[in-house]
Amino acid sequence: MSNYETYLLAGVAIPFVSFLILMLFGPRLGKPLAGWVAVAAMATCCVLATLTMVGWLGEVENGTAAEMTAAAKDNQFYWADLGTVPINIGVNLDSLTVIMFFMVTFIATWIFVFSVGYMAGHSDEVGGQSKYHRFFCYLSLFGFSMLGLIISSNLLFLFIFWELVGLCSYLLIGFYFDKKYASNAAMKAFITNRVGDFGFIFGLMMVYFFLGTLDLDGAAAEFSRQYASNTGVFDPAFTINIFGWKVSGAMLATLMGVGLFCGAMGKSAQFPLQVWLPDAMAGPTPVSALIHAATMVAAGVYLVARVFRLLTPEAQMFIAGVGCITLTAMALIAIVQTDIKKCLAYSTLSQLGYMIFGLGVGAWIAALFHLMTHAFFKAMMFLGSGQVIEGCHHEQDMRKMGGLIRKMPVTGITFLIGVLAIAGFGIPNAHLGLGGYFSKDEILAVAWDRAGIGGEGHGHHGDHGGHGDDGHGGDHALAGTTGFTLVAGAGGSHGGDHGGDSSEEKGSGALKLMFWCALITAYVTPFYMMRCWWMTFMGKPRDQHVHDHAHESPLMFLPLVILAIFTVVSSYALFRPLIADAAPALTDAVLVTSYDGHAYDAEHAKGALIKLEAAHDWLFWGVGWSWLIMFIVAIVIYRGGLDFAAKIKSAFSPIATLLEKKYYFDEIYDFLLVRGCRLIASISAFWDTYIVDWIVASFTSKVTERFSVFAGRGVDANIVDGVFNGMAVTSFDLSNFFRSPHTGRIRNYVLFTAGAAAVAILLILVFDQMSGTQVVLTSAGG
Amino acid sequence: MLTYIVFLPLVGAAVCMFVPKQLVRGVALLTTVATFLLTLGLIGPFVGAGSADAAGLFDIFGSKYGEKMHFVQRADWIVGDNFTIEYFVGLDGLNMPLVVLTSFVSLLACLASWNFDSWKVNKGAKGYFALFLLLETGMLGTFVALDFFLFYIFWEIMLLPMYFLIGVWGGPRKEYAAIKFFLFTLAGSVLMLVGLVAMYFYSAEAVLQNPALATSYRPDVGVLTTGTFDLIELASNQAIQTYFNAENTYFLAEGIKFAPLMFMFLLIGFAVKLPSFPVHTWLPDAHVEAPTPISMILAGVLLKMGGYGFLRLCYPIFPSGGHAWAYFLAVIGVISILYGALCAMAQTDFKKLVAYSSVSHMGYVLLGVAVMTEAGVQGAMFQMIAHGISSPMCFFLVGVIYDRAHHREINRFGGLWLTMPKYGTMATIGFFASLGLPGMCGFIGELWVLLGVFAARETFDWAVPMAILAAAGVILTAGYILWLIQRVYLGPEKQEYAGYPEANGREMLILVPFAALCVLFGILPKQMLFDYTNGTLNLIVKTMATAPAKFGAMAGM
Repeated sequence: MSNYETYLLAGVAIPFVSFLILMLFGPRLGKPLAGWVAVAAMATCCVLATLTMVGWLGEVENGTAAEMTAAAKDNQFYWADLGTVPINIGVNLDSLTVIMFFMVTFIATWIFVFSVGYMAGHSDEVGGQSKYHRFFCYLSLFGFSMLGLIISSNLLFLFIFWELVGLCSYLLIGFYFDKKYASNAAMKAFITNRVGDFGFIFGLMMVYFFLGTLDLDGAAAEFSRQYASNTGVFDPAFTINIFGWKVSGAMLATLMGVGLFCGAMGKSAQFPLQVWLPDAMAGPTPVSALIHAATMVAAGVYLVARVFRLLTPEAQMFIAGVGCITLTAMALIAIVQTDIKKCLAYSTLSQLGYMIFGLGVGAWIAALFHLMTHAFFKAMMFLGSGQVIEGCHHEQDMRKMGGLIRKMPVTGITFLIGVLAIAGFGIPNAHLGLGGYFSKDEILAVAWDRAGIGGEGHGHHGDHGGHGDDGHGGDHALAGTTGFTLVAGAGGSHGGDHGGDSSEEKGSGALKLMFWCALITAYVTPFYMMRCWWMTFMGKPRDQHVHDHAHESPLMFLPLVILAIFTVVSSYALFRPLIADAAPALTDAVLVTSYDGHAYDAEHAKGALIKLEAAHDWLFWGVGWSWLIMFIVAIVIYRGGLDFAAKIKSAFSPIATLLEKKYYFDEIYDFLLVRGCRLIASISAFWDTYIVDWIVASFTSKVTERFSVFAGRGVDANIVDGVFNGMAVTSFDLSNFFRSPHTGRIRNYVLFTAGAAAVAILLILVFDQMSGTQVVLTSAGG
Repeated sequence: MLTYIVFLPLVGAAVCMFVPKQLVRGVALLTTVATFLLTLGLIGPFVGAGSADAAGLFDIFGSKYGEKMHFVQRADWIVGDNFTIEYFVGLDGLNMPLVVLTSFVSLLACLASWNFDSWKVNKGAKGYFALFLLLETGMLGTFVALDFFLFYIFWEIMLLPMYFLIGVWGGPRKEYAAIKFFLFTLAGSVLMLVGLVAMYFYSAEAVLQNPALATSYRPDVGVLTTGTFDLIELASNQAIQTYFNAENTYFLAEGIKFAPLMFMFLLIGFAVKLPSFPVHTWLPDAHVEAPTPISMILAGVLLKMGGYGFLRLCYPIFPSGGHAWAYFLAVIGVISILYGALCAMAQTDFKKLVAYSSVSHMGYVLLGVAVMTEAGVQGAMFQMIAHGISSPMCFFLVGVIYDRAHHREINRFGGLWLTMPKYGTMATIGFFASLGLPGMCGFIGELWVLLGVFAARETFDWAVPMAILAAAGVILTAGYILWLIQRVYLGPEKQEYAGYPEANGREMLILVPFAALCVLFGILPKQMLFDYTNGTLNLIVKTMATAPAKFGAMAGM
């Protein structure tokens, strides 16, 4: 076991120990010691993660990283047999794990520190009782689960930790469980995630059944093998009948990918399961920052990145579609939000949509890069909002804020850095900008290329095939020319079998639409983010009371500053090379067409600015300045307060209402699913009590009665008679029977026991007699 | 050893009758503790199965079903000219965990009875504890008996104390509930009795017809010449198997095939116990009326008799019956899962909700065995044990609050996590285990069953839709359990319950072991259970797969 594995395992174990300590001794540690225990644990993990990352960067430089990844594979714990398939768990030691691990521990550490400050006041009180240690207990459990999720090399274990982070999310959203809205939100989050998990379980079943292993790498290898040999899930003769829908061949493989993706839809709150995330803001703000912005919600994206090799082009298309709907629809809702946390929540949804969309179109590196940078700046913005909320005495309505920059300069400035980062601030052609600029540009470029807009894209890939020094060039050039259809296989023989009917035209058409949606959203994002910032920090104070109260506390703004610095740093250094290093192995599959992963080798990707030349030339002018244009628009509208905005809103009132009602998703779900389900439940219960019970019970009693009558007449024996009389008494005159429990009970009971045995023996004897043999009863043994 | 264990509680029951009233519960506790400790010794021969090589596995499990039993004790009991009823007990991977579970749940249920004097019906402590111990003997005996007749006797012995425990010490509608429990189970027993007799005569016929194949698994018997009640013999004797499962073996009338019919006869009795739709309706009533410890035993152990019966009697002896009824059983299993969950969702009585959740959870057991795949059967077995831990815990949680509030109306509760924090935490663990949260015991069983069903795709065309429907159960389960938690434990503290004392030491002593096991089984399923059971279960599955004859679906009826 290499040091790195030890570090990672220890990193997972430490928060668990902290969880146990806090659970057992939390109340005795008290406030704030319990909080510092959690901080210390997470900080230790962060140190380990840093050591790992620094060491790992060296390994990557030396080219020894791949060996270590392989070595880690051999070092597995035999957990259980699933049927006849052994489940082995181990550490998935590769660049993606290392970088995710670092990101989570780093952000978690600072959010824990922030939490100590946040909980110092009265925020730890639930129903008047301090639940201080419980909060940090849950946070530690979350740390454990999230880190476990990241290092799992096995889909099943990934799923187990996946559910555990869901549990933590449930517990933390419902932290103020004395409030109805909080417990409702917690429940909604868990159940919505369960809907996604239902799909995940289906995906697991498919993987287990077709690929015969739940190990991520093993499954990917098997998937490729089956594709090449036309067997297993790609066997055209193999059909599965799902409620009359006959699925076979490549469609099955697509279904498998879509099933796994369903899990991601739940966790990363993708359309149509997005409803839980805005409500999840009912939890304490540090929780929103850590779980519902930076880490847990990104787990869905991480999952898709991990199972990327199991996706067929159709499945990728589906993923891109879902991501596109989410990113567009949620960005629009964000425009009309007035609650500062809700506004950030919708922007998180939209950004997650971007990542999912990015993975769907094959921009693997860009999507994960976006995940990383987004984690930093969104966590920072949430903490900023927490600072604002705490400072303003739990006021979340931006309409009552304004002018806070004077009272909270650090918060205001760090928040602005976040706004710039998410808006895609950058100077086109100058290699200068913040995280969102690079990743968004790259995702759009890949989508543009893939949709075939401009028509130059295809030839392009031929070129890049030439670039590839890993031998994949040829395959991918082929894939590039055929877009999203399965026809592009390792060999022409697949053409007929794998349903090449899904035409290139159709795929491209939908992709074009998606590209334009994503492009327009790139203009929407800066607008609502600047609106949010301006309403909160600039202009005149709109509520003097809130304004007077506002203050900052050092324990809380230190994490903001650190995260702001890292927002800038991470846009250039650290992440990009490691993600690029992970890309070739994790996107290396026959079917998957990952553009930025292969078109550019790791060396090339380190330059941070990807140039898909033709696409970029166009995009420089297409979106490069979007942040500036929309900032100006937002400032013009909100410069003089809210009046002008209100006018615009009333001019478009039906649309504004639709957005404010979040497209009525909550109402529709509540009516159709929640109420529908409860109605069916009530009907079932009624049916069970009055119909099923009546039929079965009366039937049973009839049978028993008939049987006793038959036996009573048919078997002429005193004992048996007595027994059945006893039964009759029991059945028909029970109150009588229990009249004197002290004297009658044991006797009657013995009678029963003897009777039942006697009936059995008697029946055998009778039957035996009938078959004409003599029976001698002897008693022996026992 | 097994005999001592089985009859130790009976001795305890006898002692209970003669000691002063104040000592009764002490005697009972002592007996259950002793029994539990002794049953722990039964794990002995199975230790090391996880890391054993082929030879080691052979020593523990044998190479075919029934070949290797541990702690075997057999003696002729009732001997006729050409039949022998034996006292025959033994352990393999199938019943060992259930025996340990039984003594464990009995121990904790006995602890839960400790406050007997404060119950509403608190007369007759002697009778209560004596019956309680007798019940334990019945349960242990049922699990270890390997002679069908002996099994049947224990089965009946178990039924009766239960009847009285509900009927005398139960709630307001105890008579109704007790009668209902009794009649439902009796209906099943009657059919089992018919099966018992028929199987005996048919086995006699089988060995007469085909003596060449009738070599017994017992060297001292050699070639079997008479009918038998020996469950292992019935499942392993080639002559009997061939005859039982033949296409043209009929029962009573031409055209009624023997195996599917007998399979169904036995199965109905077990399905009542399981309980599966539509014969589950006794369960909510029985649970609601039964005192807390009896509910714990009922849910924790008695329901497992059903699943155990499938795996010990139905499938090994009538594999072709299993094939014939697979679709039917899977449908019933899926209905139980979904329907039980839906019914649970609509309940307002706390205990009834937990009772219906049992219906839903045990549906997985039926579904798992119905598809006859390794993963399915392993999952079913795990689900039984897991449910045997989580469900008594849930019932005890209900009991704790019932002792204080004297009602079980879910909608009247609220904020209990604030009122009783420790209890609230335990409740969260218990209900999340029941929900099937990964990392806890409920999850493993469900997942294994679901994957097992999916894996049956090669044999059964309907497996995939079944798996999908059953998987939808996880959403419903999450729904009703979280809604329950919200209504009972979350929310603002209520004035009505403000003064309630925290769970006391005795209550925590019961809850903590359950909670610990919930987690342990979830994290280390292999070390906790699979190592001991899988050897036997896989052999049973192998027996099923090599059934002498396979009928088409629903054949023979």
